Parts: sequence; structure tokens; C-alpha cells
Amino acid sequence: MEPAIDISVIVPVVERYDDVAELYGLYKKGLEDSGKSHEFIYVLDGDFEEAAAILKRLIAGGEKIKVIKLARWFGEATALTVGIQHSRGNVILTLPAYQQIEASEIPRLVDSLKDCDMVIARRWPRKDSLLNRFQSGIFHILLNPVSEFKFHDIGCGVRVIRKPVAQEINIYGDQHRFLPILAHKYGFRVREVNALQSRSDIRKRIYSPGTYARRILDIFSILFLVKFTKKPLRFFGILGSSVFTAGFLILLYLLFIKVFQGVGLAGRPIMLLGTLLVVLGVQLFAIGLLAEIIIFTHAKDIKEYTIDQIIN
Amino acid sequence: MKDLSIIAPLYNEEECVRFLYEAIVRVVDPLQLDHEILFVDDGSRDETFRVALELAERDKRLRVIRFRRNFGQTPAMAAGIDHARGKILITMDGDLQNDPEDIPRFIEKIQEGFDIVCGWREKRQDKLITRKIPSIVANWLIGKVTGVPIRDNGCSLKAYRAEVVKAIPLYSEMHRFIPAMASIAGSRIAEIPVRHHARKYGKSKYGLSRIYKVLLDLLMIKTIVSFGSRPMLWFGGISFLAFFGSMITFAYAIVRWNRAEGDSLVVLNGTALLLGALAVFLLFAGSLGELAYKTGNLKMTVLAVIRATFTGFEKPQREE
Repeated sequence: MEPAIDISVIVPVVERYDDVAELYGLYKKGLEDSGKSHEFIYVLDGDFEEAAAILKRLIAGGEKIKVIKLARWFGEATALTVGIQHSRGNVILTLPAYQQIEASEIPRLVDSLKDCDMVIARRWPRKDSLLNRFQSGIFHILLNPVSEFKFHDIGCGVRVIRKPVAQEINIYGDQHRFLPILAHKYGFRVREVNALQSRSDIRKRIYSPGTYARRILDIFSILFLVKFTKKPLRFFGILGSSVFTAGFLILLYLLFIKVFQGVGLAGRPIMLLGTLLVVLGVQLFAIGLLAEIIIFTHAKDIKEYTIDQIIN
Repeated sequence: MKDLSIIAPLYNEEECVRFLYEAIVRVVDPLQLDHEILFVDDGSRDETFRVALELAERDKRLRVIRFRRNFGQTPAMAAGIDHARGKILITMDGDLQNDPEDIPRFIEKIQEGFDIVCGWREKRQDKLITRKIPSIVANWLIGKVTGVPIRDNGCSLKAYRAEVVKAIPLYSEMHRFIPAMASIAGSRIAEIPVRHHARKYGKSKYGLSRIYKVLLDLLMIKTIVSFGSRPMLWFGGISFLAFFGSMITFAYAIVRWNRAEGDSLVVLNGTALLLGALAVFLLFAGSLGELAYKTGNLKMTVLAVIRATFTGFEKPQREE
């Protein structure tokens, strides 16, 4: 076992990345200014031949960089998790592979951890286009009621986390954005700290419609993850029973006018809607029950708690 | 294997820990049982852990489990139960609302042959509107639905035979339903009145919002209990209902069609098709349920054997 160090820097290379060598230089300078011992871990999420070549050249030039190359694409959150597993630092600093904040802000961010468990950077003051700020604003307005914490910049990949906290939070695939939300939900102390936005981050970005759809789905999955993972029936049950009730009322109305006013069922297309809602309601409920059965039958495997220490 | 484990979850109870420890020791020591006390520190932010640690340094029979963060009361109980080494387990609140003086009576009941003994806070010292009335309604409902009529499911002071409670899955807020779940295994359940004190320190950590949660949990327990381990039967039954409805509607549509009212066909046949689809869906849902039971580790046979009686065997099948 190698001795522990202060900070493990994890840079996941996923999809987008800027000039690797230049960015490494900037980050390294920032970390050296903080005066703490550190290591760099680059996690390549799949085949990034160009980035891998540059890293190889940096290592050949005497830079101490660790590189983990995943066999195929697994998603940024998985890349982060693998990086954390192979880190030695007491504190994890995740940095994006592209410019988001000025590297000179790193020492201040690391220092502001103090008694907190996690520090997330907020790019402020914002200098990017109105459109981007608008998009981000809308996303956070939708997100914050769900997350129960006033996040301003969940998309910023710069985060300082204590290692035990990072190990506690299980994320995979595309869930790296949820890290602070889950941390907050689990009762860890999260703090948002303003950091200068990098100049190169200030360009207009327009995403594909698919990206926007995914962000909306993100909010939905956070809602599920945060509130209902252990109790799926509470989630599906409330949905299912409201849909069922709506359909049931429609059918009740039809029965009423059939019996008392002699209006034939066959001539009322709304009967289709009523039945459809009843069917959908039962299905949602059944899904909730199934999910609950899965949790119930596996509950002895899923330890709900993690133990810090046992005395005696 | 020890005789007795006493489990108390603690969350921000720095004032109570020492009193609780002393009260338990005062009661348990004269019993002459090989016992242990388990304090589960549920991620307290105050000095709870430090105080418990001091006590544990002097008394090796006190074990302290510390969580990494706050997980809630049920996981704390579950951790205590998982790590307990006693044959009889007693759980109690960490806030001194339960009285350790009651413990000997629980042990007697277990020794009489009951698997679970529940406390019943006969003279409950809580607010009437926000705590007592919802609790009475909830307990009545739980009793009706699960068929295990217990007057006070919410009381933490309970005693268990270890082999029974260790076989029961415990997660989320399920500790309220341990007796109901244990009844799957045919356990014998007793209830005895206990003393209850008003809170001296700290604040109550619950609210009124629990009713809706209890309702859905209850529905879940009811299904699980009545499933036994055959979800297919349950889903199949509803599936058959839907199929039956579909057939009726379809027949009705044919009757109407014979009277040459063609415009009615779409609505009635559509309805019949929807119900038919539901029937098929539920059948598949049922088989998914079977799959969950098959891959899960809830061993129904274990539960079944715990309370079974064996006659004519050479050796007794279970330890008393």
C-alpha cells in the first residue's frame, strides 16, 4: 500500500475534451499553488487515441500521471467511480477534461472544504451567452424542488469530496450530475462556492434535442432515486391510484346515465378513455408491487446502512 | 452465543446515553444472564458517540455501532439485529421514553414460548391529536388488514427470539410491520402493557405525514403476506377478472351487432381489447414476480421451519 496523500485529482475524459497537455499544465499549476501533495488520475472512458497519445507523451516527459483506460464507453459517473476506487488521496478533486473554471481558483476551492463533506464549484459571474444561461436557469428551477437544495450550477464538473463520502455514494452511467444531490440527500454537508468561469468556457452551446430530453429524464430519475428507491410502491402507487380513480369515475358516470337515463354505452367513446385509464392505473400499480417484491425478496442482500466502526 | 442482546438506536441523544446505559445495567445485571448492550449511533451530529465510547471503554459488554451518516430508525434497528449475538433480542428507543424496568417481563414472555413480544404503551405520554389518534387509527387498520391485532405497532420496546427476527427482511420503515411479517412464519405473538415516559430531552423526530406512507406500506405487506411465495396466483386472479370482463364486453358487443347498430362496435370492442391486454400484462407481471422470489434470498423454507414442530425425529431439528 502506497502512503496516503492529500488530494487525488480525477479527470474523466468523456466525449468532449480540450487540449489535454495545456489543460494538464494549468491544473497542475493550480494544485502546486495549493501546496498539498497530489496525484493525477486520468480516466479514459473508451478509446480516446489522441488523448491517450498525449498523456503517454506527458508521462514519457517525466510527468507523474496515472491513466485508466476503460475497455469501452461506460459513462462519466462510472469513470469517476473507477477513478475514486484507484485513488490514494484523502480528498478527491474531480476536474472536467475541458475548461470550465480558471485553474487559479483550485487552491481556494480545496481550502473551502474545511468542515464540509463536499464542495461544488459554481461558475460565477457567468460570462457565457444569454441562451446558455437561460437554459441552465430553467433546468435548475425544475431541479431544485426535487433536490431540496438550492443548486445553481450542477453542470460544473469541479467538485471537492472527502473520500469516504465519495465511496458512500453509488453512481454509475450518466449520473455524475447527481453526485452533489445524492450527497445532500444522504445527510452530508454540501457547500457551493463561486469560482471564476474560464474564458474558453464562454462560447455559445446549442445541444441536440436529445440532450434536452435527457436532462428532463434526469430530473425524473433524481426524483425516483432520491425519494422512492426503497419504497417503489409509494411512487407507482400514488400515480397508479390517481389514474385508476380518474378512469373509474368516468365509468361510474357512464353507468349512472346508462341506468337512470337509458343512454347506451356503445354510443359513448369516452368509455374507451375510462377503460384505458383504469387499465393503465392497474398496470402502474402492478409495476409498483413488482418493484416492491424485488426489494422485499432481496432486502437481506441490500444493506441499507454502512458502518463506520464497531466498538467491542 | 449470548443469552440476551439489548438494542437501542441513538440519534442525537447526548443527554440520554448515560442515563439509558445506567438504567439498562441496573435492570439487567440482577438477572444473571450473559448479556450485551448494543448502541447503534445513527450518524449523530452531537456528542452521542463520544459519550457512548467512554461508557464502552469501561464496560466490554456495551457494544457501539457507529453509522457513517444518518440512515433512519429502521436501518439502525436492522444493524443492531444483524450484529446481535444473543438468543433473545430486545429493541428499545434511545430517548428514555421506554422504561428498561419492563425488560424482565419481556424475557419471561419469551421463555414462556412466544416468538415476539410487543410493548403496548397503555398510558401514552404524547400529544393527542398529532400522535395518539393517528396511531390508534393506524394500529386498528394494520390489525384488520394483516390479521395480527396489535394495539401498538409503533412501540419500539419489543422482544424477539433471534432466529425469527433475523430471518425477516427489514428495510425502509418496516420495523412497524415485523409482527405482521413474522406471522407469515406462524410465529406466536404476545403483547404486554409497558410504561411510557414523556420526553425529557431532545425533540420528537416524527410528524403527521406518516399516514399515507403507512397505508401504502400496509397494502404492500398485505400482498406479501397473502402471496405466501406465489405472486402468480395473486396476479393470475386479477388477470382472470380482467379477462372475464373482456369476454363479457365482447359478448355484449356481438349481441348489439346482431341488432344491426354498427356504430357501437368500435367502442365496445375497444374496451374488450383493452381489458384483454390488461389480462395478458398481468399474467406476465405475475411471472416476473415469481422470478423475483426465485432469485431473491428470502428463504420461505427457513421461515417455515422456524416454527414447525417435528415429531419422530432422532434429533431435535432446532435449538431451543
